[in-house]
Amino acid sequence: MSIENLKSFDPFHDAEADEDTSQVKGQQEDYVHIRIQQRNGRKTLTTVQGLPTKFDRKKILTVIKKKFACNGTVVIDSNMGEVIQLQGDQRKVMHHASAPSDNLMAHTVNHQVEPSDFKMASRPTVTIIGKDGTPSGATHPIPTVFASPIRPDIVQQVHTGMAKNKRQPYAVSEKAGHQTSAESWGTGRAVARIPRVSGGGTHRAGQAAFGNMCRSGRMFAPTKIWRKWHIKINQGQKRFATASALAASAVAPLLLARGHQISNVPEVPLVVDSAIFEGGAAAKTANAFAILSAVGASADVIKAKKSKKLRAGKGKMRGRRHRQRRGPLVIYDPEVDGTELVKGTRNLPGVETCPVYALNLLQLAPGGHLGRFIVWTSAAFKALDSIYGTTTTPSELKKDFLLPSNVVSQADLTRLINSSEIQSVLRAPKGGSLTKRAAVQKNPLRNKQVMLRFNPYHSAFVKNELGQQKKEAGKPLKTPESFLKVLKED
Amino acid sequence: MASPQVSSDLVWEIVRSNNSFLVKRKASGGVQFSRDPLNLTNKHSRKYAGFVNDKAIGVVPAEKNGVKVLSKKTEAVQQPAKSTTETTYSGGKSARKTYVAVANQTAKNGYRADLRQAAVARASAIRHSYKEPKPTPEPKPRGTKAKKAAE
Repeated sequence: MSIENLKSFDPFHDAEADEDTSQVKGQQEDYVHIRIQQRNGRKTLTTVQGLPTKFDRKKILTVIKKKFACNGTVVIDSNMGEVIQLQGDQRKVMHHASAPSDNLMAHTVNHQVEPSDFKMASRPTVTIIGKDGTPSGATHPIPTVFASPIRPDIVQQVHTGMAKNKRQPYAVSEKAGHQTSAESWGTGRAVARIPRVSGGGTHRAGQAAFGNMCRSGRMFAPTKIWRKWHIKINQGQKRFATASALAASAVAPLLLARGHQISNVPEVPLVVDSAIFEGGAAAKTANAFAILSAVGASADVIKAKKSKKLRAGKGKMRGRRHRQRRGPLVIYDPEVDGTELVKGTRNLPGVETCPVYALNLLQLAPGGHLGRFIVWTSAAFKALDSIYGTTTTPSELKKDFLLPSNVVSQADLTRLINSSEIQSVLRAPKGGSLTKRAAVQKNPLRNKQVMLRFNPYHSAFVKNELGQQKKEAGKPLKTPESFLKVLKED
Repeated sequence: MASPQVSSDLVWEIVRSNNSFLVKRKASGGVQFSRDPLNLTNKHSRKYAGFVNDKAIGVVPAEKNGVKVLSKKTEAVQQPAKSTTETTYSGGKSARKTYVAVANQTAKNGYRADLRQAAVARASAIRHSYKEPKPTPEPKPRGTKAKKAAE
């Protein structure tokens, strides 16, 4: 994508207007157009246009406003006449309302405002890998779910909650520490007033009991099976997290950051032709592994296999003896690919499988870390658009679900900073093109010019050899012997 | 990057606190290193994080005292199998020529001029590591030992 993204385009530009004006004109009397426009994030406007003139729009509007509990206005457009504008997505209700009562054909048009839909040709595609890991020749446009915002914060939060939902309740015995008939001795016995085991004839008698500080007393705040084990997570958040994890699985650096071995993978996301899995071709572990190695995923399987280590600590004796890395996740469409590959891959260490209709965040982002290496079958990959829909068309299989949209369309900071839009409003950098450097200190004792700047007399000094004069004069005369004699006379 | 929404800036913010290459140690004030082969200084930083950046240079030892330079292809980010190129400079090539070649590969054609110094330094360090270390000289006897040895 180029800087074009930054340039504002009119999101409410009428897509139909240019293409089939004649059609619209011809049908203008017959059709009522109900359109939805994206306003702001997930907020939408519904417009109803082309109602016959025999109806009073204001009266219709008042009825609609009451019935559907939304606000609205009548807008007068030069081309389309009077248009009813309603808040929110009222397509379905309007469709039902206008069809039987007025006997008019309601014609629902989805008005999508995504840039990718304006330029269908530039929508990125992914090659479908055939047998032997070579491209099968077929491609498929990348489903919109892969453009979802990548939000590690949401994924981590949802993951922590979901990871807690498989816990088994545990507690100490209700009676622990209380199976004795201890009573306090009261004051005046010069011992603490803690309950003491009654009776005699054994060491236990007279020992303190019950308290959490006592030997074989009850623990402090004994654990209960009715602890809040499970965490409710809002469905919207779960769906957001899943979409986010899917989007991250298509970013190669994030796969590397999770530690997946993808150096032989031909493309990310890795989509393998469903024809390979046909007829239970992956029902045997050897065959399944052969397919995975053909598409470059074997390095990750081997890494997972080699990573198996004994767990540190008590978990060893609690059914968590080993720990190992996760390998690739194979996502398939059970209706097309069958479920034989589940049996084929279940003995491959680290390899997991998941039907595309029941994706699980615990598999898509293990440990809450984004970027699981996913091997898609082409049928599963193609099903994604119907499962998740787009940012404007609701999902077919999930009720009331629109994919989350990104807040920014360009996240590349360098590109943003260097864009003409930003550069044009910035002040020019101060100072010239040359930076002023601190002067290099030159040694006047070595450099004559610098010395002359300090000491103009230096040239005469050198010329007349004033520095050498003393030397030429020779050694001073020796002190006369007579003088020394006088000096030392006592 | 796959789409303009996923830039290396975003990826860095996601992976800077935790990634598979990161080595965190409590020693030396919590110094952070990176095991990324495309990291020239082995320091965990935005500039040298090779797996995050679209353009990155790695310098690794090669056979026969050579130096191998890895670089990323910007157009093949989504194709990990062909996203890196490898150039090997044999140990027979003179040091100066190797460094010039490494510097040119790093900085020319608008690749990563900011990494030139680090790339050459790493190539030099790798070449230096091939040298046989000088044998440590015999300790000279001093004082009374020296006198005894002289006798």
